[in-house]
Order: sequence, then structure tokens, then C-alpha cells
Amino acid sequence: MKREKNWVNYYLQSTSGIVGAVLVLIMITLSLISAFGLAPHDPLEQNPMDALQGPNGTYWFGTDQFGRDIFSRSIDGMRRSLSVALLSVGLATLFGVTLGVVGGYLGRWIDNIVVRTSDVIFAFPAILLALAIVNSLGNSWIDTSVAIAIVYTPIFIRVARGPVLSVKEMDYIKSARVLGYSSPRILGRHIMPNVFAPIVVQVALSLSWAILTESGLSFLGLGTQPPDASLGLMVSEAQALAAFAWWSLAFPSIFITIVVIGLNLVGDGLRDALDPARRSTS
Amino acid sequence: MRDLLSLQGLSIQTSSDKRSLTADVNISLVEGEALGIVGESGSGKTLTALSILGLLPRGVEVVSGEINFNGENLLSLEPERLREIRGKEISMVYQDPMTALNPVMTVGNQLLEVLDYHNHEVKNPESHVRESLIEVGIPDPERALKSYPHEFSGGMRQRAVIAMSLLLSPKLLIADEPTTALDVTIQRQILSLVSKQRSRRQMSMLWITHDLGVVANLVDRVAVMYAGRIVEVGTTKQIFNSPQHPYTQGLLASLPVASSRSRSRLASIPGVPPKPWLVGQSCSFADRCQFVQIRCRESLPLLDAQGSKSVACFYPIASST
Amino acid sequence: MTLVIDNVFKKYPIRQSKTVVNALNGISLNISKGQTLGIVGESGCGKSTLARLIVGLESPTQGAITWRDNVLLRGSKNQWRNHLSPAQLVFQDPYSSLNPRQRIGECIREVISAHNLRKKEEIDSRVTELLKVVGISEDMKNRYPHQLSGGQRQRVSIARALAAEPELIILDEPVSALDVSVRADVMNLLVDLRKEFGLTYLFISHDLSMVRHISDVIAVMYLGRVVELGTWDEVLDNPQHPYTKALIAAIPDHSQVGQMDLTVSLEGEVPSPTNIPLGCAFHVRCPIAVPNCSKMIPQLLPIKSSQSVACSEVVK
Repeated sequence: MKREKNWVNYYLQSTSGIVGAVLVLIMITLSLISAFGLAPHDPLEQNPMDALQGPNGTYWFGTDQFGRDIFSRSIDGMRRSLSVALLSVGLATLFGVTLGVVGGYLGRWIDNIVVRTSDVIFAFPAILLALAIVNSLGNSWIDTSVAIAIVYTPIFIRVARGPVLSVKEMDYIKSARVLGYSSPRILGRHIMPNVFAPIVVQVALSLSWAILTESGLSFLGLGTQPPDASLGLMVSEAQALAAFAWWSLAFPSIFITIVVIGLNLVGDGLRDALDPARRSTS
Repeated sequence: MRDLLSLQGLSIQTSSDKRSLTADVNISLVEGEALGIVGESGSGKTLTALSILGLLPRGVEVVSGEINFNGENLLSLEPERLREIRGKEISMVYQDPMTALNPVMTVGNQLLEVLDYHNHEVKNPESHVRESLIEVGIPDPERALKSYPHEFSGGMRQRAVIAMSLLLSPKLLIADEPTTALDVTIQRQILSLVSKQRSRRQMSMLWITHDLGVVANLVDRVAVMYAGRIVEVGTTKQIFNSPQHPYTQGLLASLPVASSRSRSRLASIPGVPPKPWLVGQSCSFADRCQFVQIRCRESLPLLDAQGSKSVACFYPIASST
Repeated sequence: MTLVIDNVFKKYPIRQSKTVVNALNGISLNISKGQTLGIVGESGCGKSTLARLIVGLESPTQGAITWRDNVLLRGSKNQWRNHLSPAQLVFQDPYSSLNPRQRIGECIREVISAHNLRKKEEIDSRVTELLKVVGISEDMKNRYPHQLSGGQRQRVSIARALAAEPELIILDEPVSALDVSVRADVMNLLVDLRKEFGLTYLFISHDLSMVRHISDVIAVMYLGRVVELGTWDEVLDNPQHPYTKALIAAIPDHSQVGQMDLTVSLEGEVPSPTNIPLGCAFHVRCPIAVPNCSKMIPQLLPIKSSQSVACSEVVK
């Protein structure tokens, strides 16, 4: 018997999906290199003698005004950005999806509370809200993550609740109720698999936004504090130098771009691969 | 008599992957004649109708053939001239009366806009519009003119759409399943209305439907479409009383006859229609046909005209008359 | 007696417009074991609402649906929650009635395993058997619904209903969404299954020619009430209610080709269920209405042992 293809096979059929996955994997690998202290230089070590060198054999991405290695700082910044993105999106997914699914499925007053609360959060511009929360929480990477998580939770509430509301009205859910299935079974086996795809896609996309938000916060002087490296902070610090040391601005910016594009491509690829109807045409 | 509309060798494909959706469709319609196009979903009947007005959806295109209307090839017309023909000489009624009217405009204004857009010269547009509503059996036209579509019932909406399509006295009315979304008693009213208007106006009509029962007493001739091709054309009597294509025959036999008191097993056609682009050079019905021969799988039967009737089958069922 | 529907009302309040949709307005019907009851009516007649009430998706506003003398549903809580309902439902739309992410074999298996209807080792063969019974070959059981045609999906829906071993199968417009050439197949299957397993059906449709084909008894509904009830041949050969007559006359008849009969038997449209005419709900369209018709709701009264009509002009 021919083995049924699973979604991984379908994912691997899409060129853009593979490109995205490769880009993201490269960035994760680089972060891990930094996490294990295997970077070519210490990202915090200052070498005033080597300040503002262009890319060369020793300093692949050049150095900044303190003579710190931009490559090592970039991958360390990537590590920090990815950590913040993963933690914040993880928290937002956990809370947002739970609230959205429960609200959408149960309806009534629970749903009302969930929707009103998320509307209030939505009403604030994301970056302003994150700024305010970071200000009151503190500047550690966990504080930053919690702030971003709070900002993103309503997005996940919406992403989960919308499909739950429409799936709930489908005849196959009515049929499941007539067949006497328990609510946990209906939720777990009939509703969740049908709202799973948009959530996974949203996770991939939100990771890329979270990286941008973290960069934005660092750029504005919140979040990661000097001398620690963060991609956003590096871009912020490099602004004044860009005119005569392009590399100090270019490489952190390129890293942000690569990881954001990569995550977006992964999100698109997952959306196609997870939908049985969409993949049947290929 | 002269053909008012003739489709010659019309083939429609998807633009991206060149999947054939209809192939070599030939239809002709003389002035004042009503033709029914009958087919199941995916048979290409609606695409054929839409192609006449140049309204094919994005991603689908006519790749060969001609559409001649009143001596002009509609496919090579300037957009300007095509817009003039639409509505003025050919008008269309759709399946869903809900989406055929603009929800934020009163019915009266929508009707007046039609007159206005086509610079139709009438002395008193308001009374012309009012008369058109009376003609299609809308009671209290004064109120109807000021109403929005959502204030109408489904049947009333379809009447309003028909009024709009008849406003400029078109030569040809194309109706795409206009009664499918309606209740049976309302369907009956609409069929009667259209029938009356057609004979009063000597208008030609192309009626697209999946329901053979609807066209039996409505049109002069019937074309049966299957997997993107016309498989049989004939007068309504010929098609219903002595179908020659095995598909037409099967389709007729599978309908329970309303007036009959027999409840014997319904004849059925095994299998499902193939995708038109997967048929290739064989008879598209071969896989489901009970009379299939080797030849049917090896070459494509073309519409073979015998007088008023043509059938695309190598082994047509002998005519009983 | 299998199922008794006794004077059931169902009202849906609409909050925004402060109106009430009167979907069912005092409907009484019986379905006996092994019998097929056909319900025919146009939109707004309440036929689908009735189906939802019987399977327990909703509860009646008033009245009772009893099952072998046990009250099946009453009040706001539905007692079949988390229990297998003895009535199963086959829906109209084959595209939304199957979970798109569940293979069809799993869809059937789940019914059996969730309720322990068979021993573990027998489940597989039971799934195969059920699919075979509806004409789906075993090698298709790992397919997803989108890989099936509309007719095949409807067969899977029927198999899923059968898996629950119900007392009654409610077929809510089971062939209306299918292509004409496939309809006959599914209708034949339903007839075969009934013969083979002695099933009891409630067949709901707007299409009298389908209802006529399968039903033993036909109930004609109009705006939430039964206006005529009788054996299928009585209702068709000797319709008494003016609405039944109009419904029969409105069926397009392809057995008689020729000039259309332009006389329309029924003018006007079905009034909205939010605003049902007083008295007999049909009197505003009725060709034989008299002034009294707007004053009293006619009851369904027998004119013969097996045929009843709700019309004060017919039953005098």
C-alpha cells in the first residue's frame, strides 16, 4: 500500500518554504553558537585599537567604535532576539489560544469578557503599549518578553476564536453533538484540528513581528541595555556611524531582515502544507 | 431565419495551467428562439454563458472559437461596444437574486441607473421603471421603488432583477439558474412570468440549468453539456421523447416523474463526471456508459447533425419515433 | 409507537429587532418503527427545525417529543448530551457534514469506539462493513473528505449515522445538494438500506418528487404546522389542502413536453415566520379562503382513517 504523505512531505515540496526554513535554521544555528560561547570574539570585549575596522579576515563583519566584533555581537543579538520572540510568542499563544477557544466554544458571558478585554488591548498602538509595560516591569529580557506577550495575546485570541466560531456552526460539529461526543472530544478532535493551521501560521508570523518589536524597543532605549547586544540596539547605536562605517548598520539590519523573511516564508509554507484541501492540487 | 447568436468552436481554459474547461462548443440561436443548456456542475454550462458577455472570472479565458451576435464577433469587440451590447441587447439574470442587486441602493435607483447609463431615451424614466415593475408582477410598485433589496423576499428580488434585465428590451436574455435558489411555488411563478414576457417581446433566451424538468415546458430547443462539451442538441420534444445520447437518456431516467405513481428503482448512472481537462481523445462519457465500445475509448465522437438534431455519440440510441 | 411529537412549538427570539421567529407552531406527528415519514414544505415551514429538535440539538419551547413513552426533551437541558441519540441526522451539505481533517474510516470508527458499541478487535471489521454497506470500498477509508465526490461523502454520512445504530435516521434534504445523475444513486441506496436493515426514516425535502419516491406517509408543512397528512398515494392522488394541490402543480413535469401551462396555481409568497397571519396561516394566499379563515386556526382533522387535513373549508 502506498504510504500517505504527511504534511512534512507537502511542506518540503514548496521551494519558498524550504528557503524560509533554511534561513531560519541558519539564524538558529548562529544563535546557538553564540549561546555556547563559540563566537569568534567576546561580543562585549572592547578593543579600542581595532575600532571601526571594515569587514576583514579577523572581524568578518568589521568592528564598532569600541572595537567590538560586529559578527559576534550580531549573532549574540540574534540569540537575544530569538529568545525574546520565542518566549513572548509562546506565552501569547498559550494564553491567547486558550482564551480564544474557550470563549468561542462556550460563548455567552465568558466570550464577552474575553472579547472586550482583547478589544481594549487592541485599541492601543502595539509599540506604545509595549513601551508602557516595559517601563513598569523592567528591562530584563523576560520583562520584555512578557510585555510583548501581553501585546500579542489579543491577536491569538482573535486568530483562535474566529475559526472556532465558524467551525462550531459546521454540520460536522452538530453531527458530533448528535453522536453524543463529549465536549473535550469535540474540542480536541473536531474543532482544534480545524483551527490549528491558522494558529501555527500566526505563530510563525508573530515570531517575526516579535523580533521587530523587540528591536524597536531596544532601538528606543528600552529592552536590552548596553553593553549587551541586541539587533535593535545595534541598529540604534550604528545610526550615527552609518555614514562612515556602513557595516555597523548593514549587518545587524540584514540579520533582522533575513530572520523576518525566513519566518514569513515558513508561515506561508505551513499554511499551504497544513490544509488538506489546498495540498491536494499539487 | 438568421442566427441571432452563434458560438463556434468555443474553448475555455484556465490561464495558468491550461486546463480545458469547455471544448469546441457550438450553439446557435435564431431570433425569438429559446434554448436550454442543461448540464451538471462542472459541465461548463455557466462558463459558456458568461463567456458570451465577456464576464469570465479571472484566471479563465477563451482560447479559441467565435461568438457571433447579430453579425458582430463579441470576442474581438472594443470594450466600449461590448458594454453597449451588455444590458442593451443582451442581458443576464443570475442564480442568486441576493447578490445581483446592490444592497445600498434602492431598487428604483438601480433601475433608473440602467436607463441612465445606456442613455436610453424615454420620455418619463420614472413611469417607465414603474411599468416594468408592474409587468413582472411586483405589487405596489411605488413602494418597491423606494425599497432596498433586503426588504424584498427572494421571489420579489428575482422579479426585480428580471425587471431590470428587461428594461432596455434586450434581444437576448441569458438566465443562469434563476430559479434554483427559489421555492417551488415561487419557481413556478417566475417560470410563468418569463414565459409570458418572452412571447410578448419575441425575445430570444438562453436558459442555463441543471434541472431538466424546468426546461421541458419552457424552451424550444435543448443542448445537453457533459464534461465541457455539448453531447446532444435537439428540439425539446426530441430530447425528452427520444434522447439519443446515453447520457441524456440516463439523466432523464434518473429523474422521478412527478406525475407517475411508480416507485420502482430509479435508473442511475454509475460513477461521477470526469474533469473536462482529463478526458483527452475519447468519449467523455465512455467510463459511465452502458453501451461503451472500444471505439469510444479510442477517438472522440463529434456532434453529428441530422436535421434539427445532433448527437456526439458513435452508437446513438435508435430514435423511437 | 416509536416517536411521538406532541404539540411542539419552537420560537427563536431575535434580540436586535425584538421579534420572534415562530419556526414551529403546534406540530404533532407520529413515526412508527419501520416506517418512512416524508416531510415536504418550502423555506420557513420549519422542517429543519423539527429535525434539530428530534435529535436533541435544541429543545422545544413548548410541547414534548417522546421516545417510547420517555420524555426525550423538555426544558432547557437536553438529556442526550454526552449520550448517543437514538435519532441520527444526515445533513444536506456533504461539504460541511464531514470533518475535513478526519479520514473517513476514522470518522466511522470514532462513533463505535467513543461509545464502545463493539469489542476492540471487532471495530475494524465493523468499519469496513459499514463502508461496504453504503457502497464505499475499503481502500478508500484512509481518504480525506475532500478526496471524495459529493455523492460519496453523502454515503459516508449515511454510514456514520448507521454506525450509531439509531432507532431513527433523519434525512434532511439528503440529495438536494447533489448532481442530478448522482441523486438517483443515493436515493436507491436509501431504499436498499431500509429494506435490508428495517430502518425508520424521517425524510425531509422541499422536493415532492423525491419525498413521494421514498415515503410511506407524507406530511405537508406550511409555516410551522402540518396542513395535510396521509399515505403517499393519497396525498398525491387525492390532495385535499389547497396548499398541497399547489405544491403538486408546481413541480416541473418533464414527462409532458410542450407549451407551458401559464396559469399559476398559487400567488404571492410564504409570509415571514416572524409575522404569521392570524387564523389559518395560508389564508392570505389561499384560492378558496373565506372570511372566517383569518379568525381560527384550523386543526388537523381526519377525512379518512389515514388522511387528515387542516382546512376548515375542506373538512366541513
